[in-house]
Amino acid sequence: MAMMRCRDNEIMVVAELLEGRILPVTHEVIAFALALRGGDSQFIRMIVPGRDIQEMANELADAIGIDVIALEGDHLDPYNAEAWKMALSALLAEWNPRYVCIPHTSLGCDFAPGLAAGIEASCITAIEGVCNREGLITFTRSIFNGKVMMQVASDADMTVLTVLPGVFKAEEKFPTFPDHKKGRVEVVRVPEVLQKTRVLGMIRAEERDLDLSIADVIVSAGRGIGHEENLALIRQLAGLFSKSAVGCSRTVCDLGWLGYKHQIGLTGKTVSPKLYIACGISGAIQHVAGMSGSKYVVAVNKDPGAAIFQMADVGIVEDLTIFIPLVIDLSQTDPHSPA
Amino acid sequence: MMKILVCIKQVLDSDRPVRIHSSGKWIETDPHGLYRMNRFDEFALEEALRIREAFPGTWVDALSVGPERAAQTVRRALELGADEGIHILLDDERYRMPWETASRIAAYAGNKGYDLILAGVMAEDDMQGQVGPMVAEIMGYSSATAVMSEKLIPDDNRIYVERELEGGHREAFALTLPALLSVQSGINRPRYPALSHVLRARSQKLITIAAKTWNPPAPRDHVVCLVEPAPVKSSVFLSGSPLEKAEKLVKILRENAWL
Ligand SMILES: Cc1cc2nc3c(=O)[nH]c(=O)nc-3n(C[C@H](O)[C@H](O)[C@H](O)COP(=O)(O)OP(=O)(O)OC[C@H]3O[C@@H](n4cnc5c(N)ncnc54)[C@H](O)[C@@H]3O)c2cc1C
Ligand SMILES: Nc1ncnc2c1ncn2[C@@H]1O[C@H](COP(=O)(O)O)[C@@H](O)[C@H]1O
Repeated sequence: MAMMRCRDNEIMVVAELLEGRILPVTHEVIAFALALRGGDSQFIRMIVPGRDIQEMANELADAIGIDVIALEGDHLDPYNAEAWKMALSALLAEWNPRYVCIPHTSLGCDFAPGLAAGIEASCITAIEGVCNREGLITFTRSIFNGKVMMQVASDADMTVLTVLPGVFKAEEKFPTFPDHKKGRVEVVRVPEVLQKTRVLGMIRAEERDLDLSIADVIVSAGRGIGHEENLALIRQLAGLFSKSAVGCSRTVCDLGWLGYKHQIGLTGKTVSPKLYIACGISGAIQHVAGMSGSKYVVAVNKDPGAAIFQMADVGIVEDLTIFIPLVIDLSQTDPHSPA
Repeated sequence: MMKILVCIKQVLDSDRPVRIHSSGKWIETDPHGLYRMNRFDEFALEEALRIREAFPGTWVDALSVGPERAAQTVRRALELGADEGIHILLDDERYRMPWETASRIAAYAGNKGYDLILAGVMAEDDMQGQVGPMVAEIMGYSSATAVMSEKLIPDDNRIYVERELEGGHREAFALTLPALLSVQSGINRPRYPALSHVLRARSQKLITIAAKTWNPPAPRDHVVCLVEPAPVKSSVFLSGSPLEKAEKLVKILRENAWL
C-alpha cells in the first residue's frame, strides 16, 4: 500500500458558528490542526462560511492570529448542505489544501462526507487522535461503541477530517505565531445558484426534564436493562438517594421505555451530577458526550470490555438484574446494626 | 409510482466480544454467526414501509453490500416487508471503507430511478456515518442526515424533513426529489415481521450481484490497524462475588455520604 508522506501544504479549518458567534468546538479543531502540523500554525487557515461575515472574520483573525477566508454568500446562512458543499468544493479546488478539518458536529457530519466524495478527497470521521509514524500520518477513531480503536490513513491528495468535540483542548490564542500577530482576511464571494435544498428554519427542542439538571445523583438505564419492567430496579436504586433522577441512553427512549426528556447525551441532555450510575450502558461517544462532566461515575455492565469502564471511577462487571437488587437490599439495612 | 431503496448493513451483534483479526485490519469473523441488521437501518426500513402504507403502489427495495452471510440480513428485510432484496456480494470478509461501499451502492442504484434512498445515520460497527451522504453525492441526489421526521405530499416533488441537532433541536428543510435521507434512531418504532411476510420471504429469491461486476472503486483511504483501547485500570473494578461487590459499592456510597 502506498505510504502518504505529509506534505508541506495547508490545513484548512471550517469554522462553525451559531447566531453569529464562533462555537468553542472550532477552537478545538484549530488545536487539532496544530497537533497535525506539529504545533506550527503558519499553514493553518480558517474558512468562515456565512452571510455578512467579513467583520467577524476580521475579529477572528485578530483574536486568534491565523489567516481567515470569509466565504460570503447569502445562501450560506442559515446552513444549507447543498450550498455549503458547492461553495466549499469550489474554494478547495482552488486552494488545494492537504487537509480540511471540520468539527464532528451534526452540521459537520451532514456535509463532510458528501464534500469529500465530490472532490475526490479521502474522508475520515470522528477523529480522536492523530499520530505520525515515520511520516505515515494515521488518525484514530472509535468503532463498536468504543470497544476497539481504528487507525486510518489517507491515500488521496486531499483529506477531509471531522474532529470529535471534547478531545482536543482548545486554545484561545496561538503563541506559535510570532511574525505577524494578526491573521490576514480574504473575502471570497460565492454566487447564489438554483437550490434543490430549501431551508425552512429551526425547531427548538422541547423543555427537558429539570430534575436531571439539578440532581446530585443520576441513575441511568441503557439497553442492558433488557426489559421495560427492569426500569423498576433503576427507579428503586435512584430512590435510595436524595436529590436523584433517572436518566437513560437514547436507545431506551427509542424503545419507548422512557420519554426523550430522560435522554442523556449529544442529542439529549448534558448533565454533571456528583454521582452518575450507568446501568447497562455501553459508553458510546454520543452518550458519554452528555455525562463526561459527572464528578464520580459508577458503571455496571456485564461486558468487561464496555467502553463505559474507561471513564468510570468504579466498575462492576455483573448482570445488573442480579447486582442492583443486592445493592438495594444492602443499602436498606442499617449499617450499624449487627448483621 | 414511488421507488424507494433502503441501504441495510449487516453488523456483528455488539454485545458479543469483538476480537481483532490477525491481519489487524478488521475484526475476527464470528463463528457463531450472531450477525444482524444494523439497528439504525431498521428505522430506515420501517420509514420506507410507512411511506408505502401512506402511498400505496410504492415499491421498496432493500440492499446490502456484504459477504455471503449478509444474505440473511437482506432476507430479514423481506420478512419485515421489503418488496425485493438485493445482495451485492463481496468475495471476502475484508473491511471496506465507506467510499468503496458507497461507490458500489451507487453503481447499482445509478440507473434504477429511485425517488428516495434511505440509509441509517451510521453503522453500529464502523460508526462512520458516511455511506449515505456519499451515495447522495455520487448520484447527485439532495440529502439530509440525522433525519427525525419526513413528509411527502402528493404531487409535490419535494420531501420535507427535520434533521436533529445537538441537544435535540431540529432544523427543517425541503429537499427536491430524488433525495437521500440518513435516518436517525427514534424516527419511528420498527415493527416485528408479519407471518405472511416471513412465509413469502422464505421462498422469494434475492437478487444477488457479484461486486466484481463493476470495476472496483479506487480506495481513497485505508485501515492501518485496529487497536484495543488503553486498558482500564484494574483498580477501577470491584472484585469478589456479586454480594461482595455490592457490599463494597454500598460502602463507597456511604463513605461519600451519598447514601
Ligand atoms: C448522531 C447521533 C446522536 C446520538 N445521540 C445519543 C445521545 O444523545 N444519547 C445516547 O445515549 N446515545 C446517542 N446515540 C446513540 C449511541 O450511538 C448508542 O447507540 C447508544 O448510546 C447505545 O445505548 P446503550 O448503551 O443503552 O445500548 P448498547 O450500546 O446496546 O449497550 C448495552 C450495554 O448493556 C450491557 N448489558 C446487556 N445486558 C446486561 C445485563 N444484564 N447487565 C449488565 N449489562 C448488560 C451490554 O454489555 C452493553 O454494553 C446517538 C447516535 C448518533 C448517531
Ligand atoms: N455494506 C453496506 N451495505 C448496505 N448499506 C450500507 C453498508 N454500509 C453502510 N451502509 C448504509 O450506510 C449507513 C451508514 O454507514 P457507515 O457510513 O458505515 O456508518 C448505514 O446505516 C447503512 O444504511
